[in-house]
Amino acid sequence: MLLRNVFLKSLRDLRWPTFWTGLGLGILGFYFMWLFPTIGKMMDLQSILDAFPPALRALIGGQLIDLGSPAGFLNMELFPLMLPLILGGFAIGVASGATAGEEARGTLDVLLAEPLERWAVLTEKTVAIVLATIIVAAFLLVGVWGGAAFTGTDLALDKVVAGLVVGTLLALAFGGITLAIAAFTGSRATAIGITGALLVATYFINALAPMVESLNQIRGISPFFYYLGHDPLRNGLDLGDAAVLAVVAVVGFAVSLVGFERRDLAA
Amino acid sequence: MTAVIETEQLTKFYGTHRGIVEVDLAVNEGEVFGFLGPNGAGKTTTIRLLLDLIRPTSGRARLFGIETTADPVAIHRRIGYLPGEFTLYDRLTGGQTLAYFAALRGGVDPRYQASLVERFDLDPDRRFREYSKGNKQKVGLLVALQHRPDLLLLDEPTAGLDPLVQRTFFAILRERVAEGGTVFLSSHILSEVEKSCDRVAIIRDGRLARLDRVDALRDLAHHEVELRFAGPVPAEAFTGLPGVSDVAAADGVLRLRVAGAIAPVVQAAARYELLDFVSREPSLEETFLAEYGGATAEAKQP
Repeated sequence: MLLRNVFLKSLRDLRWPTFWTGLGLGILGFYFMWLFPTIGKMMDLQSILDAFPPALRALIGGQLIDLGSPAGFLNMELFPLMLPLILGGFAIGVASGATAGEEARGTLDVLLAEPLERWAVLTEKTVAIVLATIIVAAFLLVGVWGGAAFTGTDLALDKVVAGLVVGTLLALAFGGITLAIAAFTGSRATAIGITGALLVATYFINALAPMVESLNQIRGISPFFYYLGHDPLRNGLDLGDAAVLAVVAVVGFAVSLVGFERRDLAA
Repeated sequence: MTAVIETEQLTKFYGTHRGIVEVDLAVNEGEVFGFLGPNGAGKTTTIRLLLDLIRPTSGRARLFGIETTADPVAIHRRIGYLPGEFTLYDRLTGGQTLAYFAALRGGVDPRYQASLVERFDLDPDRRFREYSKGNKQKVGLLVALQHRPDLLLLDEPTAGLDPLVQRTFFAILRERVAEGGTVFLSSHILSEVEKSCDRVAIIRDGRLARLDRVDALRDLAHHEVELRFAGPVPAEAFTGLPGVSDVAAADGVLRLRVAGAIAPVVQAAARYELLDFVSREPSLEETFLAEYGGATAEAKQP
């Protein structure tokens, strides 16, 4: 039933990674919201944080830290690092497997000898990856919502959704870059390695930008700048930021189509 | 006759590494065409070029009159392909694998599919990774065969199959051909090509070395003759004879190769005191090895 076409087959292949990553993130979200009432009341923790050197503060959430509000709490605990790492890692992992994984295993020859356009195969796989990434983010939303409901915390759910939308777009931007590299090189390890390094490097560019003037000038090249730059957990979705991340994802995908159409496939 | 496969100066280099060089061949509708060569000669490269999995460096190939790079999907609709080294989805069972590839083609005749599974004696409920080498090969063949393609492109199809299954496989190939299908199969095993093919192309070092009917190739085969005399015999008495080559004389034993009529050698030998005369016709395999061995000897020359 799930073996009717490449899209459904890809979803089927992704079902367990999606479920487990989603479950993990969901539990994490629940856990943080469950912790919030306790930690939020520890106001001296806030003063300790305020006393942190700016560099350290920047690394764990910058000016967005405000332990007194649930949004501020999530801004420190979950969104700056945990979410990009897990959701971005997920997107990078599955995107690297889309074509390069089948190519490395040796199943791609049989698949592409079927009457299927290469671009169509890659598109169907990509749609499955996007859907899986959204599902993982949805698990997190359910976890955060559940945790807030459980502890009776007053949380603006629409703002959390806004944060998750840019978070998902950030992950998909890195996923798009992964697809492009994987489609051109056919190497899963290369795609993961380069994009993973890019994720870490651009994270630090954005996080350290407030302290380092030279980084501040190039802050705009970091996808993270468009992620929490306008503090979606307090201000809601910034459409411009979302658009930038979406464009990166779409361009990555478009580049991967070109690469995949042109290239000799490995035997 | 219509050419199902037609290549013109088909050439593929991987960077500077040779794939195939200027291969010209035409495979006609309804024939079983053998593509023979040692490993690394360019068989897989040729087949993957025909499928547009890789693109030619120069030259072109047409299948059913369609250029491979122009509309591969139209070509793939009429093809069944078995790669030389392949794997399928580890976690799918044989049955699920067949269902998936059938669905990608918009469905196949379930009775034909079931009859193939039965004839190959495949247990469709095991996961692909649990199958033995031979059973994996069966799944690959079923994927290639189940939609009754007009053209079968099979890269080393009998690898890993036991002799009984090989017989089933060749019987199915004959049925496909009887129904108007065409088969292009690569192999490095000559006896198999000798039995099953109408025509054979021999490829070595990326170039087409020979293309002929299987029986014509057999006619081209040399006789290897060993003559035993009572005493030493001058080799020169034989070297000039028509069709004779590779004359080696040692202590009254003379070895030579004869192409074509053997009578001149017999007449020449009769002038000396002949003790024994052994002549044998080498198998296609040996002919082929001699052909290829010659090529490597040439390559070694500075």
